[in-house]
Amino acid sequence: MSGTARRGALALVGLAVAVALALVLAPRASDAIAAAAVATVTAVAAFVGSLPAVRAEHPALARAALTVVLIDVVVFATAFLSVPTDFNLATGAGMAIVLLGLSFLTGASGQISIGNGAFMGVGAFATAIWANHHATTPIVVTLLIAVVVGALFGLLLGLPATRLRGPYLAGMTLAFAVAFPAILSSFSSWTGGDSGLQLPNPVTAPHWLVGLFRAGTPTLTTDTLWLTDIVMVVTGVAFFFMANLFASRTGRAMRLVRDNDVAAELVGVPLPRTRVIAFVVSAAYAALGGALWTLLNNSVSPATYGFALSITILAVIVIGGIGTISGAIIGGIVYAYSTNVIAWFVARTGLDPQGNLASQLNGIIFGALLIVTMLFSPMGIAGTVRHLRQRRSQRERG
Amino acid sequence: MTDGGGAALLEFDHVSVHFEGLRALDDVSFAVASGEIVGLIGPNGAGKTTAFNVACGFVRPSAGHVHFHTRGASNLRPNELAHAGVARTLQGVGLFGHCSVLENVMAGGQSRPAGGVVSSLLALPSAVRAEKALRRDAMAMLERLGIAGVANRLPSTIPYGTAKKVALARALMGEPRLLMLDEPASGLDEAELEEFAAHIVELRATMGVLLVEHNMEFVMPLVDRLVVLNFGQVIATGTPREVRDNHAVIEAYLGVSE
Repeated sequence: MSGTARRGALALVGLAVAVALALVLAPRASDAIAAAAVATVTAVAAFVGSLPAVRAEHPALARAALTVVLIDVVVFATAFLSVPTDFNLATGAGMAIVLLGLSFLTGASGQISIGNGAFMGVGAFATAIWANHHATTPIVVTLLIAVVVGALFGLLLGLPATRLRGPYLAGMTLAFAVAFPAILSSFSSWTGGDSGLQLPNPVTAPHWLVGLFRAGTPTLTTDTLWLTDIVMVVTGVAFFFMANLFASRTGRAMRLVRDNDVAAELVGVPLPRTRVIAFVVSAAYAALGGALWTLLNNSVSPATYGFALSITILAVIVIGGIGTISGAIIGGIVYAYSTNVIAWFVARTGLDPQGNLASQLNGIIFGALLIVTMLFSPMGIAGTVRHLRQRRSQRERG
Repeated sequence: MTDGGGAALLEFDHVSVHFEGLRALDDVSFAVASGEIVGLIGPNGAGKTTAFNVACGFVRPSAGHVHFHTRGASNLRPNELAHAGVARTLQGVGLFGHCSVLENVMAGGQSRPAGGVVSSLLALPSAVRAEKALRRDAMAMLERLGIAGVANRLPSTIPYGTAKKVALARALMGEPRLLMLDEPASGLDEAELEEFAAHIVELRATMGVLLVEHNMEFVMPLVDRLVVLNFGQVIATGTPREVRDNHAVIEAYLGVSE
């Protein structure tokens, strides 16, 4: 009885604190009601998702509940954070989606890709190009189109990749990353060349929502917050699907191919198809992240999706912990705050913000972090935490 | 073709494998029936491993066919074997190093009919149910072989003999009608050998077993029939007693010339 009761009590306390916070902090009654509703849903989801019976018997339901909690907490937090912080968090969330895909490809299926920045660019440009031709398409549909286009590019590169291993595969994906900006500029009538594309209509909060609250309050009614929360919800859904995939028969097929391809074939896993699936999933995830970046920036520029981005993506997932879901989330947070850290560093050291060193600082810091990670915890932050927890539980068992 | 009484499951039908002039297998014919244990033996380089690899589709025959009467098909690809009711263990242990023992055994059920990527992604109820059933069956298999205690360990952290049992458990998860064991005895101590032999004898009730093995003390009392290879050719077949007295076999093993 104690476990369930304790969880129930914890959820209730959390709920009470959240409602109290909402009442104190929210500028208007309607905001407080919305916040209280979010807190209630969160508490219920946390309670249901943490029940041992649910986790054992209905793992997908437990994952869904965890997803709801994550989305709610982030959405709740964004209402109280500054606009630039929200923007950085949303940018990091887009990155986290890309990292989920790469964690699956390289961590689970064991194929290296240095081209995921370019796949991200595919989604980013697909979104902008589609929006410029069909301005009235709902966001969800535009995002799905970007995902499909990304998946097709993944298929295109994944097919030859089934015959390549290790450094050769890295070389092929690297070539794609390097060539991608040039490909963009040679289709400049579509992609806008070096200057990129603007979205015709920025994403705005829907009228019914604005009508529900009073315009001008720093709440859900503002367009930036609305956009941030869309990104967070999409990230949550992407997280849910990837968690399902990792825990599924398909996820296991990936790990089998990675660990021992001969034995994997003998238990009935088709190698080429499994490898291509990993590529397609990873490219689709990267494209979704890129599509969200386009929405966030209201524009897309080819300079963003150069070779350096692909390297950064690889560095961030290794730092976070490759082959894990939580590593991708940690990597996304690290990425989100890297901008702040660099800005702080530039301000403290009195570097010229427009100078050569300041503009390269991003690469320097991620490079240094990558080296430290490889030296001291090659499994990344998530992998190291998991390892420590396993060691502790083994010690406790004796 | 067989004297095991059951229907033939696997049949080598005049199979030859040539590697750039080298005849690794030369017109090899034999069969394995349901309910019998067949040992494939021969000196080093006789073609035993090639025979296994050609049966599993890792090597294509230069001539002849490997018929799988389990499915009415010939010359299958490696990833089609499990679906055809054939399981094979690998030399050493051949486990998935970064997957838990339980997941290694669950891998043996990978060929079960279940949904594809989309049902995995959406965690459709049918896919979740199939996973749960697979996990339960894998756990039961570990219990049957007496190694349930290591279910959550990594293969590198368990004793070699236990890892061999995990490999056997994985093979049995596919509910094979033909089990191919590649050097099952290697690296096992006396007690483990006895236990392993007992498991294999037990399996004869539901399947045919073909094994490649060097350890004659292990093979002789275990098998119903032997197929002896030398320089890629079948030089003798028969019961262990018949083969032991066969002149060509003694010559091949001892290198005695007349």
